[in-house]
Amino acid sequence: MYPSEFGYFKPSTLKEALDFLEKEDARPLAGGQSLIPMLKLRVISSKFLVDLNGLSSLSYVKDEGDKVRIGSMTKHADLVKGNVKESIPLLYDAARQVGDFQVRNMGTIGGSISNADPAADYPSVLTALDAKVILDSNHAKREVDAKDFFKGPFNPDIRKGEIVSEVVFPKLSGYTTKYVKVVRRAGDYAMVSLAMALKVKDGKVEDLRLAYSGVSDTPYRAREAEKLLVGKEISEENVREVAEMASSAVNPPSDVRGSSWYRREVMKVITMKALGGQP
Amino acid sequence: MVNPGEKVKVRVKINGVEYEENVSPRKLLVHFLRDLGFTGTKVGCDTSTCGACTVLLNGKSVKSCTVLAVQADGKEIITIEGIGDGKLHPLQEAFSDNFALQCGFCTPGMIMQAYSLLKENPTPSDEEIKDGMHGNICRCTGYQNIVKAIKEASKVRP
Repeated sequence: MYPSEFGYFKPSTLKEALDFLEKEDARPLAGGQSLIPMLKLRVISSKFLVDLNGLSSLSYVKDEGDKVRIGSMTKHADLVKGNVKESIPLLYDAARQVGDFQVRNMGTIGGSISNADPAADYPSVLTALDAKVILDSNHAKREVDAKDFFKGPFNPDIRKGEIVSEVVFPKLSGYTTKYVKVVRRAGDYAMVSLAMALKVKDGKVEDLRLAYSGVSDTPYRAREAEKLLVGKEISEENVREVAEMASSAVNPPSDVRGSSWYRREVMKVITMKALGGQP
Repeated sequence: MVNPGEKVKVRVKINGVEYEENVSPRKLLVHFLRDLGFTGTKVGCDTSTCGACTVLLNGKSVKSCTVLAVQADGKEIITIEGIGDGKLHPLQEAFSDNFALQCGFCTPGMIMQAYSLLKENPTPSDEEIKDGMHGNICRCTGYQNIVKAIKEASKVRP
């Protein structure tokens, strides 16, 4: 399959890229692992592609103590090998489950979140960690909270002339995190996945975050359910309550990966498992 | 910058030899390679699922049906034709010895991915092999012998 004809521009500075994106009917090309298949299927088209792979200044992981800044062109494979295992273990666990080995060698964190696929791995991780997305244009820099960035399926808060330049993750301390992904087959998008962060102090829950992919149009943060456990000891009953509340608040889609009913059941099971209760 | 319909110059090194071609930006790397005669690289699913088109781009395995030829400009590519150095590579030997192929269509992609995996992890466990190879699909063998062959090849490092 060939995409329809497009022009090609490979800028060597971010400014050149932003100038071009502002003026032309153009899409940025990061790793291309979602964009190229969509161009081939002719689901989308663009007059120009702006290849960001010459912008090495957008590929980095910077640990600033209380937060970690990750350049948008950082590849999944870099996150798996790099130092985020210690600083943002939840992101590390998700990164190693994105697509497959080959996809992780091309795909980038900025590209993945800019695609805003509701079944992708990073959106729920960003939402659970209250990460911030930094967008650059030639006029301004904008900072958007993860919860507002994912506006709808394949619909991120990116304006004409903007690209995602960086993702900022606050570092959690004293938390246990888990990324649980249920797939039909190895390498598939999540049927349901859960990004969880839990802080327990003196046997009682101080903070809990539950964010799911694959169950809604956007990553779903189960804020009401999270509150149920705060101040309490974890028990089989209250974990079940949390799982029930989280799963009854959404109406997941029915598609080839699973029916709405089944997705909700899976949500319950992985929530209970992640929190250490029996499924 | 090239406009839609125009061609762009791509200079790459394939298995150690330099090539320079003018290609349309929409040309996929897999077609670029096959048109130059590197037909060991297969087009399987053409949707980045099956891995039959796996090649190494600057030492990293990629699915060449999901990379534009122009993205490879200035880079080095290794295909199945480039790993043996005149004789069979230990991975090719091991695939043959262990009956790790039947129709053989997925094999070049399997071997290139296994090559990449062993470069990063020279002594993988069975689980690590399965995890590293899950982007490659085989419809004949049931995978057992593929895992066996990769394990065996990992013991005979060239």
